[in-house]
Amino acid sequence: MWLVGCLGEGMVTLAILTGAALAWDSFPARWWLVGAAVVLVLGYAAVVPQWRYLVHRWEVSDTAVYTQTGWWARERRIAPMSRIQTVDYAEGALSRLFGLATVTVTTASAAGALRIEGLDKALAQRLVDELTLKADAVEGDAT
Amino acid sequence: MSEAGDGVDGREPDADRDDAVALRAHQQQVSAAPAELARDAEWQRLDPRMMLVHPVREVIRFLPVLLGLFVAGTASGGGAWQYLGVLVPITVGLLRYLTTSFRIAQGRVELRRGLVSRHVLSTPLDRVRTVDVTASPIHRALGLATVRIGTGTASTDSDERLDLDGLPAGRARGLRAELLHVAPTQNGEAAATSPVDAEERVVLRFDLAWLRFAPLTGSGAVIAAGLLGGGAQLLNELGVWSDLDTRDWSLGIPIWVALVLAALGLLVGVAVLAVLGYLVTNWDFRLSHSPGSWHLSRGLLTTRDTSIDDERLAGVTVGEPLGLRLAGAARLSAIVTGLGSEASNAALAPPAPRDVVVDVAGRVLGTDTPGTCELTDHGPAAARRRYTRAIGPALAVLAAALLVVLGAGGSWWLLILPAAIVAATVPLAADRVRSLGHTLVDGYVVARSGSLNRRREALAVDHVIGWTLRSTWFQRRQGLTTLVATTAGGRQSVTVLDVPETRAVELARLALPELIGAFGRRVADRD
Repeated sequence: MWLVGCLGEGMVTLAILTGAALAWDSFPARWWLVGAAVVLVLGYAAVVPQWRYLVHRWEVSDTAVYTQTGWWARERRIAPMSRIQTVDYAEGALSRLFGLATVTVTTASAAGALRIEGLDKALAQRLVDELTLKADAVEGDAT
Repeated sequence: MSEAGDGVDGREPDADRDDAVALRAHQQQVSAAPAELARDAEWQRLDPRMMLVHPVREVIRFLPVLLGLFVAGTASGGGAWQYLGVLVPITVGLLRYLTTSFRIAQGRVELRRGLVSRHVLSTPLDRVRTVDVTASPIHRALGLATVRIGTGTASTDSDERLDLDGLPAGRARGLRAELLHVAPTQNGEAAATSPVDAEERVVLRFDLAWLRFAPLTGSGAVIAAGLLGGGAQLLNELGVWSDLDTRDWSLGIPIWVALVLAALGLLVGVAVLAVLGYLVTNWDFRLSHSPGSWHLSRGLLTTRDTSIDDERLAGVTVGEPLGLRLAGAARLSAIVTGLGSEASNAALAPPAPRDVVVDVAGRVLGTDTPGTCELTDHGPAAARRRYTRAIGPALAVLAAALLVVLGAGGSWWLLILPAAIVAATVPLAADRVRSLGHTLVDGYVVARSGSLNRRREALAVDHVIGWTLRSTWFQRRQGLTTLVATTAGGRQSVTVLDVPETRAVELARLALPELIGAFGRRVADRD
């Protein structure tokens, strides 16, 4: 059994939020409103990514994949290895900037997909390979 | 790159030979297979009578465009040319027929369709989970039926459904029987659902007396409440309430009488609609069991036959919307893996007396306990949370209304509605507390929650394909969590709301012990 901490997705979130704030700045609104929004956004950007980062965990055992995500509403998901249907590897534009990737593990249930965000690329690739092998090794048709 | 290419080239002849061998083997197999399947081994079109159905359907689909065209044509003073527009959908319909063909061969069902973008859908026979036979009024008039083959895909795209639209009705039934027969049974999955009888056993038959529940169903009540609430809101927004006294009334009757009459009329209208809807969908409802699968047939205009494989039946949901609950009724639906999001297909019993529904649930599950047993309640913290969540928002609305009235000097009448809502939420919350419960019995996870739309869900542990524990900051403070058992069927999950965290983990542990290596230890680490 092993546990690896994930890498900072906080930067990604910060970039997104700053972009959003900038876009709003160009809107000719009342300035104090914009100011308040900027303060809010900055506060959010300062706190939430850190919070997320602290909460965000994942691990893979021989029988199951386990993730913990969220900040306000914390969500822990567990999917048995035997029920894994697909393992997706995705790099978004921003995450590529940081050399990160997202691994999505889906089961037959629409409610049960696990996302592991902000993984180091090499690690994510290894994880995908490992999951594919393990899921393949288990019998059954994954429903 | 080139090495890989060589490798592929090098293998190809072998692969071809293998295919040929496999093909021959399959052909032999198929020739020994049931008549229906053998007949379908070659690519073939659907029933020619569909040439009548498709154009009609396309015309209906294009109707808005056609009308627009017609209006535009008339307005611009054109001649009869705008009628030519009708030809387009007719051509499309004919092409749809001509470009669609299917075959059942080599252990696969294959469907080709499309002219411009060509789809070939193909699925192994042993992946067939449900076979529906549907016949719309047009189909029935022509003696046709649509066979929908459900394979448990999560895709909701209609392009990716395996519909054999338009086979002669008799052939459709034969095909269904044989498809379900061919799909091999998988051992170990819910094998204990029910004793296998030699002949078909009818479990539930439609009873006209059940019509009395129709006006009480969620749909009717929701429509009525929505209309009334929305109307009142709208009038409120427009300030009609405060203007009422100053307006002239030429009706000759007091305004309140008129309003009451209107409301009554609305209620009667909704009730009639609900009864009609109930009749149309549930006429001749029949639930029966034959070895290996459940059969459902129903429908007044569009008849629908659904078959559900025993092994795909993961559990049942007993739904008791408030109206039905007060009348002592309930409805039953199945949690079926592979039926996708079309929840309506999975209804096992229309709104019917509760005893009947529970009895059917017991027979479907093969055990009575999940439907009748006592549930463990979720403790005082969960109860507190129900109260705060129900009353809090209503209180906030009341406070806001109070502020508005005090600040802007509106009529005090504005406060009545929020105050009434606050008063109504108290019993609502109490009822939700009473509803809340869960248990694990006879291999089923049972959970119940809700008040206005209370539902009791029983899901076989075998069909749980994952757990999600979700807790907001408020929930964590009270040591609660929402446990979600995900499954491939029904609404895709069964939610155990606001259960104490330790109990949630214990439940998950009891249900699926093999997962606990990873799971229980992690939770233990965290605490």
